[in-house]
Amino acid sequence: MGITIEKVSKAFGDFAAIKDVQLEIPSGDFIALLGPSGSGKTTLLRLIAGLESLDSGKILFNDIDYSNKTVKERKVGFVFQHYALFKHMTIFENIAFGLKVRPFKLRPSNQEIKERVYSLLKFVQLEHMADRYPSQLSGGQKQRIALARALAVEPEVLLLDEPFGALDAKVRQELRHWLREIHEKLNITTIFVTHDQEEALEMADTIVVMNQGQIEQIGSPDEVYHHPVNAFVYRFLGRVNEFIDSENEVTYIRPHEVVLRKSAQGNSVPAKVLHVHSVGSLVRIQLNRLDTNALFEAEVNTEKYQEIGPLKKGDLLYATFSNLVAFGNEQKEALTAIL
Amino acid sequence: MNTKTIAQANTVSLQGLKKWVLIGIALAFLGLFIVIPLIAVFSEALKKGIELYFASLTEPDALSAIKLTLITAAIAVPVNTIFGVIAAYAIAKFSFKGKNILVTLIDIPFAVSPVIAGLVFVLLFGSQGLLGPFLEAHDIKIVFAVPGIILATLFVTFPFVARELIPIMQEQGTDEEQAGRMLGANGWQMFFRITLPNIKWGLLYGVILCNARAMGEFGAVSVVSGHIRGMTNTIPLHVEILYNEYNFTAAFAVASLLAILALFTLVLKSVVEWKSRKE
Repeated sequence: MGITIEKVSKAFGDFAAIKDVQLEIPSGDFIALLGPSGSGKTTLLRLIAGLESLDSGKILFNDIDYSNKTVKERKVGFVFQHYALFKHMTIFENIAFGLKVRPFKLRPSNQEIKERVYSLLKFVQLEHMADRYPSQLSGGQKQRIALARALAVEPEVLLLDEPFGALDAKVRQELRHWLREIHEKLNITTIFVTHDQEEALEMADTIVVMNQGQIEQIGSPDEVYHHPVNAFVYRFLGRVNEFIDSENEVTYIRPHEVVLRKSAQGNSVPAKVLHVHSVGSLVRIQLNRLDTNALFEAEVNTEKYQEIGPLKKGDLLYATFSNLVAFGNEQKEALTAIL
Repeated sequence: MNTKTIAQANTVSLQGLKKWVLIGIALAFLGLFIVIPLIAVFSEALKKGIELYFASLTEPDALSAIKLTLITAAIAVPVNTIFGVIAAYAIAKFSFKGKNILVTLIDIPFAVSPVIAGLVFVLLFGSQGLLGPFLEAHDIKIVFAVPGIILATLFVTFPFVARELIPIMQEQGTDEEQAGRMLGANGWQMFFRITLPNIKWGLLYGVILCNARAMGEFGAVSVVSGHIRGMTNTIPLHVEILYNEYNFTAAFAVASLLAILALFTLVLKSVVEWKSRKE
């Protein structure tokens, strides 16, 4: 199902959570709403679900106005950040819930419900868990059951609110791949909310970067990462060095784009090593520019590090900043407001 | 043994001593004020034999008091259970202006002396009261009649269920209800399949306490009852009348019913606490 968000606004008291948002989501897309906390991404998701009502604007499902339709009529599946499994029900009952509460005429027979629940349990690879209670499951298992429960009612849109936010790093990594696979299999329009840029870049077809209730940029992971439209997007999508020149012009460069050499070359800048730490296959080096005294970070792989290193505090290197990005003054003001 | 370990041993025994002194004080206090009076009630009740004990319970005035107490509880407890669930639901699951005022209002019966509560009903519904002329004109009797007793009991016992449920419901939040809504459940389905099972032990606990108070309430009921024998006497009022007439055996026999109710309540309460902890 395709979704169109048309000039949607929503405020809670004096706080404008969503301001005049415009967004087109094609059918079958896998989309990430990415932004810091308070950027309005969860509110937007809840507006699509019908869990919140609009102040103004329209939400269209397949070009039909659904703004005033109930949650029930929208046929959306929702996965909550903290799973929201029914504690007093078994896993089987949790998944069957959406089918059992249907009006009598639309309710499948008990046999059909049973078959459907077991096929979903198989789908999420937790068949042997049917008789357990949620408290007996791990976080990752709970989230998979929450997804199975949402899928039981055959939704046409799947909404996930920070689906992996409460899980540890390893489980999160596994579930990312798994959710991506599920989307590939079912091909239903899927929207997830995250504040983790890595998660968005890794999973989504389309990323919507949000800030202060507005959309900053919409694009593929590649577009938003390599062609950010403003400083906010640039900063939010990865590690960043920020330089301010004498005219207060701000320029940016990512740590992995900084080139370090042992000898001066072209317009390279001398810099002193402050700190070196290795993170897996990468080495991060904190340095101090000798010309402006500004601090910056460089990121090199271990191969490159062997070329220039081993380094210790106080060593002199030459840095070349060839890909400096600038966004003009307008963004700079916006940025200082955010930071 | 060097001095350090001796010092350690001393602190340990001091700790042990402290523990037992504190436990001893608590037990002595309980014994003096609860266990001994409880034994006294039963021994006084049974002093002149089991036959007189049962005779005191089965004489018409006693039976009528028992009946009225049961009727009062049978009305007050369900009404306050429904009210308590609604109030707790509203307070825990919605945000609205004046929520704190509502919470404070629910606490009023705890804060106000029951006698004053009774007096308010007399002032409202009595023949000199605000609504007195209207009620008299329509021949409706509230004060010094059964409706007054029920009203006073309702007032005194209404915080029990709500007070018990508010923290439980607040802790549970609205996540599960929202999930139910997303899965297509309507309001009734959500309440009976999600909310109610989640609060059942807390609810039962509140109902038990509410019932114990409804049956045992003296002050407010005493003011509105008028003490008409065989008509507007509940068990606690009947005990008082018997006692004032120096009919000690009968007074203690009827009082023993309330003591049995208290013991029964405690057992039930422990079972519920144990069950809810197990889940």
